[in-house]
Amino acid sequence: MNRRQLWISLLLLWSLAPMLWQLISSFTTTAALVDGGVPFLQRWTLIHYRQLLSSDPPFWRFLLNSTVLASASTVLTIALAIPAAYGLVRLPQRWLRVSRALIAGAALFPYVLLFLALLELARSLNLGNSLLALAIPYSALSLPLALLLLTAAFEGLPKDLDDAAKLEGMSLVQRLRWVLIPLIAPATASTAILVFLFAWNEYPIALTWLSRSEQLTLPVAMARIAGSSVYSVPYGAYAAATVLGALPLLLLVLLFQRQIVSGLTNGAVKG
Amino acid sequence: MTWLLLTPALLLMALIFGWPMLRYAWLSFHANSVLTGLVPVANGGANWMRLLADDRFWQDVLQTSRFALVSVTAELFLALLIALLLDQRWRGRGAVRALTLLPWALPTTMMALGWRWIFNTPYGPLEAVAGFVGLGPLNLMASPQWTWLATVVADVWKTTPFITLILLAGLQTIPADLYAAFRLEGGRSIQALRDITLPLLLPYILLSLLFRLAQAFGVFDLIQVLTGGGPAGSTESLALYAYFNAMRFLDFGYSATVMLGGFLLLSLSILLGALALRLSGALRPLQP
Repeated sequence: MNRRQLWISLLLLWSLAPMLWQLISSFTTTAALVDGGVPFLQRWTLIHYRQLLSSDPPFWRFLLNSTVLASASTVLTIALAIPAAYGLVRLPQRWLRVSRALIAGAALFPYVLLFLALLELARSLNLGNSLLALAIPYSALSLPLALLLLTAAFEGLPKDLDDAAKLEGMSLVQRLRWVLIPLIAPATASTAILVFLFAWNEYPIALTWLSRSEQLTLPVAMARIAGSSVYSVPYGAYAAATVLGALPLLLLVLLFQRQIVSGLTNGAVKG
Repeated sequence: MTWLLLTPALLLMALIFGWPMLRYAWLSFHANSVLTGLVPVANGGANWMRLLADDRFWQDVLQTSRFALVSVTAELFLALLIALLLDQRWRGRGAVRALTLLPWALPTTMMALGWRWIFNTPYGPLEAVAGFVGLGPLNLMASPQWTWLATVVADVWKTTPFITLILLAGLQTIPADLYAAFRLEGGRSIQALRDITLPLLLPYILLSLLFRLAQAFGVFDLIQVLTGGGPAGSTESLALYAYFNAMRFLDFGYSATVMLGGFLLLSLSILLGALALRLSGALRPLQP
């Protein structure tokens, strides 16, 4: 093993070991979790997974909730961001610069500070405890990044293109639908996957908006399993939940690695 | 027409970003708690006077800054090493990059409890290792002096991949010719790092610093699940204190004041930092 391979192994160990430990714990009996002396062959069990899937509400419910909410947030964000990004690019240069600075500021903003006012808003509009209503704040919180990515994509298109299509007599909607949106598809895909991940993982707002257990998203359900006491946490069940909850994300990251990387770097670098 | 395209997105952002700040400004000059029957009553600057004299608030400011500075510094250093490694050509690089991205993609709450299990005394693997080398028992999660380090480790684990990607993008903008020329001149690779890589990477480093510092200053999920702010409030962050004020003590006026106060301090320090950078001339090579 040469030096580089050593570094690579260390990197992988550091990145994956905590998750592997969860994987091992999830198959370990509760007795063996707290007693290293249990013989090797008697340490293994599927009971944690069985419990998770038969609890009320069953665990897959939270996975479903998170998937539905993240999809709705992604669709709403993209639907708002594409026309807005197109509009931004057509603003006079000076306006574009100012609005881009403002949007970058919003992207930097530690959004957790908004939770109290958003909670009031949810109460006065009667949106509390409605899973899909969370798509509204999630879209707003994702819009800064989406706008940065999509304005950069629109700017990257040759300027004559839009004019030529206009000369052909195409309306704005037609130009967007047939010319511009297909051309910015890669940036849209990056944006969509990042928004999806944000909405899937968001915690403080979901924590304060939702209280009925069948409505909870995965991060909130996880934290609720953690409960209040440090000592009574059912780690086996929790580890199993971590493994099940991580599987969809593992899949997403492996499938969309390229989009995630280009979205993150373009969002940061061009914004 | 242009405005018509922009309006829905702008309105939504104004509602979700703008309205809360106005509301907090207003709330921070009102008593709105169980004591007032959850009805806002103007109380002059009483909330702000209370904030200035609130030891817990200032302790949280220090703790949050300590957390942000230490974890972002560690992340930056680690990310630089990893980015240099990933910038080289070797087989399987894409797969390794995808795998190292995983910690960033998982929900914070999920792995926060995973870390709690790893740091657990006496059953966690950390204690096992510490016991093996004769250091144990560490009791990491029960020591007001050291528990904050556990939050730093968990944060570094999760967010280093983000900075790595930014730095990697920066590294890939540096033309290979530069290094070749440098070597022809007889420069050594450690000098190349100092004289070529770091100066050209500076904008990317500053960018990730700015972004991560702002995010780390608002740390909430990780602390709430990993330590709950304990032991003895030693890991409590500003956002968590604001959360407790609103959801546990039901004191909305003061919660708003805490958030606004924290936000003002953050903005002030970012402004001062930017000013200091500009005065020191560190940014001069970046200006066109």
